[in-house]
Amino acid sequence: MSITNLLENWSDFRQQHPSDDRPHREYKWAMSIDLDACTGCNACSVACYAENNLPVVGKEKFAHGHSHHWIRIERYWDNDGREFADQGAQFLPMLCQHCEAAPCETVCPVGATNHTADGLNSQVYNRCVGSRYCNANCPYKARYFNWYDYPTTDNVWPEPMNQQLNPDVTVRGKGVMEKCTFCVQRLTVAKSDARSEGRSVLDGEVQTACQQVCPTGAISFGNLVDPLAKVGKQWMTQQVELNKDKQAKDTAEEAAKLRGYRILEELRTYPSVMYLEQLRESAI
Amino acid sequence: MYCFLRLSVLLVGLIVSASSYAANAVQPLTTADDLGPKVEQPIEFPHDRHAGDAAKGGMEINCMYCHTYARRSIVAGIPPLQKCIGCHQSIESVRETPRIKKLFEYWEAKKAVPWKKVHDLPDFVRFNHERHIQRFVFAQNKPVQEACGYCHGDVKTMTVARRQKPLSMGWCVSCHQKDHPVDATSTKTTHGPNDCWQCHK
Repeated sequence: MSITNLLENWSDFRQQHPSDDRPHREYKWAMSIDLDACTGCNACSVACYAENNLPVVGKEKFAHGHSHHWIRIERYWDNDGREFADQGAQFLPMLCQHCEAAPCETVCPVGATNHTADGLNSQVYNRCVGSRYCNANCPYKARYFNWYDYPTTDNVWPEPMNQQLNPDVTVRGKGVMEKCTFCVQRLTVAKSDARSEGRSVLDGEVQTACQQVCPTGAISFGNLVDPLAKVGKQWMTQQVELNKDKQAKDTAEEAAKLRGYRILEELRTYPSVMYLEQLRESAI
Repeated sequence: MYCFLRLSVLLVGLIVSASSYAANAVQPLTTADDLGPKVEQPIEFPHDRHAGDAAKGGMEINCMYCHTYARRSIVAGIPPLQKCIGCHQSIESVRETPRIKKLFEYWEAKKAVPWKKVHDLPDFVRFNHERHIQRFVFAQNKPVQEACGYCHGDVKTMTVARRQKPLSMGWCVSCHQKDHPVDATSTKTTHGPNDCWQCHK
């Protein structure tokens, strides 16, 4: 891929926004998270550590904001003047939202973050030079910078712990921005298997690590193009549309009936993750 | 005189440093003729004898007889020693040759042959053998040795396999940009994907 070819045929390499004339054809991966089911148990976060070779950085580095949880549980206390224990909490798993018009993509000086044909926001580690511009531009703060050379100098996987690393995912080195990939290693395997059998990936055939471990089944993941997919049905019943920044829920008459929303939609990032509003009172 | 001495000291220093640099220099990824580094194998496996044309003394064994995982997995795989022995225990004529003797030494010691990797891609690259074999051998009906040989070179003429192609990203993409027929009969063509996450991980 010569740079002249890349520049002359930029439109071929750059995936278009779905509201443009090139919508997603075969796959558009999307997620929905039911906050009513989420108990804030952190299993998704732990599964992500195991699946994606994330380093456990320790208390001190965590305090400096150098942690690497690609999916984190945000915690919100009820704001009605009660003290802790009776205060009640709401949980919200926050991960890369795989925005269609991702603010991180446009600012990368080396094009290390791109949009794939499947509507994923890709991060290519070996191209990243660590400017952290994408992180500065991400409204969800879902990108994590690797400050240390974890595999070698900060020996977080001492022998024989390195044996449990996932061979389908790179062990990232120092100076690289990383983030949730929707477990792209599983997606490529599922797509390849389906292609060998001459069909598309079926709904439920591929799961992300966080979805797989969620004890309450709060996370659903699938192909939005597939009319039979659970995620697509959820998006449809909640009347959430991918390329809109004002949904039916935003109108006064529908607000009470519909639960689905996307975070910071009004920034027009068109995220691929839909959250379902919490219904019940908080646990206590 | 003093001036000469200084000059000669400088020259010697230069030569020594230059030669030590050359000795420590990392072997370039590709040399002028796009040949990879020579890899010393524990047993010099003669690919030409096994896969080569019958007219040249080869046995025309299909690549996938030994690299059996290529058609159904990401990696092509190296055959287990059992597969070598399976044939060789009934081939009496070569039983006493040094290489086969070595082979049986490994077998009797119950040790795998520690073959060295010749086509070693970096950790951040994902290459799927199955995808390419399914596409070119099974869908397009290309001869196996041509399909495999596109990336691995003309292995059937080699003894110990050596990397022939650069296997760089630009080289991969140059093929992904070409239009390949979908199958042996149709005129429809498609090219390979160009999204980064297809190959990078």
